[in-house]
Amino acid sequence: MQHSNIFDYKKYRYFKLAVIVILIAFAAYLLFEPAVGHYGGSWLGYGLGTLSAIMVLWMAWYGVRKRRYRSRGATQGWLSAHIYLGTAMTVIVTLHSGFHFGINIHTLAYGLLLIVVTSGFFGNYAYMIYPRLMTENMGEDSLDGLLLRIAETDKLARQIALLMPDDINNAVARACRETYIGISLLEQLRGFQADCPSAQAVQQLTVLGNDLSLEQRKLYRDLYSIMVRRESLVKRVRQDLMYRARLGFWLYFHVPFTVALLVAMLAHILAVFFYW
Amino acid sequence: MINCLLIKVSYNSRGVLSRSYRTLTAEEITIGRGAECTIHLPDPRLAMHHAVIKRLDDGQIHLMAVNGELEVEGAILKNIALTNGKQVMIGPYQLKVEPAPPDVNITVSLVLVHRLPDDFQDLKARTHEPLRGASAFKRRLSLWMVAFIALVFLALPLAQNLIPKLHDAMAELPAGFDRVWSPGHISNSHRHFGSQCFNCHEVLTQKVTDQACVNCHQNTEPHIADPALHKNVFKSTSLFSDGIRCAECHREHKAPYPLARQDNAMCVKCHGNIKAADAKTTLPNIQDFDHDHPDFKLTFITGATEKDFERIPQTETTRLIEKSGLKFPHDQHFGKVQGPNGILDVRELSCANCHHSEGKEMRFKAVSFKRDCFDCHKNQLEVGSSEAKLSVPHGAEQNVINTLKVQAPKEMLHYSESLKVGGCAYCHEVVETKKEDALPWRVAPLHINQDWFRKAHFNHASHRTQQCQSCHQVEASESSEDVAMPDRKSCLRCHSGNSPKPKRIASSCMTCHSFHSSHAAHDGALPKK
Repeated sequence: MQHSNIFDYKKYRYFKLAVIVILIAFAAYLLFEPAVGHYGGSWLGYGLGTLSAIMVLWMAWYGVRKRRYRSRGATQGWLSAHIYLGTAMTVIVTLHSGFHFGINIHTLAYGLLLIVVTSGFFGNYAYMIYPRLMTENMGEDSLDGLLLRIAETDKLARQIALLMPDDINNAVARACRETYIGISLLEQLRGFQADCPSAQAVQQLTVLGNDLSLEQRKLYRDLYSIMVRRESLVKRVRQDLMYRARLGFWLYFHVPFTVALLVAMLAHILAVFFYW
Repeated sequence: MINCLLIKVSYNSRGVLSRSYRTLTAEEITIGRGAECTIHLPDPRLAMHHAVIKRLDDGQIHLMAVNGELEVEGAILKNIALTNGKQVMIGPYQLKVEPAPPDVNITVSLVLVHRLPDDFQDLKARTHEPLRGASAFKRRLSLWMVAFIALVFLALPLAQNLIPKLHDAMAELPAGFDRVWSPGHISNSHRHFGSQCFNCHEVLTQKVTDQACVNCHQNTEPHIADPALHKNVFKSTSLFSDGIRCAECHREHKAPYPLARQDNAMCVKCHGNIKAADAKTTLPNIQDFDHDHPDFKLTFITGATEKDFERIPQTETTRLIEKSGLKFPHDQHFGKVQGPNGILDVRELSCANCHHSEGKEMRFKAVSFKRDCFDCHKNQLEVGSSEAKLSVPHGAEQNVINTLKVQAPKEMLHYSESLKVGGCAYCHEVVETKKEDALPWRVAPLHINQDWFRKAHFNHASHRTQQCQSCHQVEASESSEDVAMPDRKSCLRCHSGNSPKPKRIASSCMTCHSFHSSHAAHDGALPKK
């Protein structure tokens, strides 16, 4: 039995740390209010800003750290800290802003940070939900295993369909030839294709099976059950693809916006000191 | 009857060609995947009854489509004459008419040109990878965003600062590239030039200098008139500068907060230990209004010029006598009072009947005879018997005497005397004149105080929820010599010092005082007590 995951790593060590950091920041924010209200350039603002800049760099370093197999500390611990301290950092950065927003580099950097953090939350959610669903969906099978099984049913279905009237044969042949899996990004994320030939073939078969000879009728029953099994296999493959797409999709935002954030943060810091 | 030689061409697993020959004799030769067809081709891409070879009436042998399609050089045809050398695609098979030996009507060869692909490989090819090209996409998106941010938020503003030509060109426009560096709203008074940063931020990486402020604020006096004291007070506080810059107290980009600092720390820094700033001063140390603020001093006017005044602490109660030159008992002008028209004329008076507020801060207009007194006291300006009443104007004594001289020259002296002891003297101090004076008597000049707390400001508007009498107790005042200004204790009923107290609001120095005003540096000219 697995005892710890990224959330309760070392008995919520980083959760506690994050809570302490947030509490200290809030206390400082409430106690030391400058005469002109809170802003990033007060001493408290500089302190919170420096702290959050260091934390941003450290969070970004996680991207490098997780690709290294030999490094200090468990990757699980790093991820736990990444999630909890990243959340705490968002609070600190918000306090650093003093709730002043405008159309400028400073608010841009803040907005980018929010996008990074929000996408991170989605990633967090994805990794909480989808791995279990993936296992439930795939069972003992692998993706290639499923594809192989679909290919086998293809062969079987085609052989039976050779003896069937043209419209049934065509429907089966089309299902075998034209079933695509995960054509576009949208279909991968939805895990569903509206005009799937495999599903359409099953639909058509139910209608087409009416006027058949007695001999064909027996074969037709076999063919129908094969095609229904085939459809469910295709669905499972699509589901698997969907889970894997969803597991990776949030990184489309998390990673590029992190890079953008680093540059925006640099511009933000430089701008402040270029015009004191 | 058609006698047909069929040559089936196939390739074995090593790719070696093999031909098998068969003679078919039938009325018409059917082609399809159906088992009953003369030429049975088991391929799902063919129709059950795909095509038929038959002899037409004119003796020509034709290939005709039944349920499938026939293709000759890319064209889909229904009916094809099978002449020598003709090539027709039947589904994945190629049919070719070969030269016929003498004993048959026609010879055709059949080759499977398009094999069925391997199902697994084919399906795999149609299964797309999840998020294909993700890393390329992420890399591209990163690069574009980095390029955009670096250009718009770093390179362009920097270029504007570093390239003089670009700087001059941008100065013509309403805003420069560096506008995106602005950390907050600019105060209203600076907004008309605030979108061009270089107006204040003259040199990159240098703090805004006082010179940038003085460019516009040329006539601004120093905050403290005495240069030595000024230097002592505004001495260096930071490692990087040799004196306090304007911008250290006047903080821009903080709107809607006021431009100037409003906190106590700035005041208490000197006034908490005033001797350190100015050894000769007699001012006491003040940290907090609640604890160590001295009692108020009232400003009494002592003469006609602006400098004729004296500030007397409210603790010296015996000296708090206003010599205004006016006789006015407040107690007779408050509540129900007797009007001028007999015993039935009872009037209700309140403060606002005579004291009229004006402006946002509800300062009070000077009381005027015409507006506030005339209605009840017009008979004070009347002389003579009830049949021959004569009204004199309120104002300069010369006008009064002139009116008497013109209207009642005979009674002039008599009337003048009655005004001197009655009419004018009812409200005013009347003084005898010397012999050489043109007038027999004069009214003493009025010194009515309009501003008791010259060193502080008070906003009546913020106190409008209060009754006047809660601070100014005049109901019992019998003489205009009484001063009804509230003292520090009455302020402390609702106000506390730097920090709020139960039922008392926090009040900083700036609540009542202004910082050493640079616009009225005569501050220093006030006599130090």
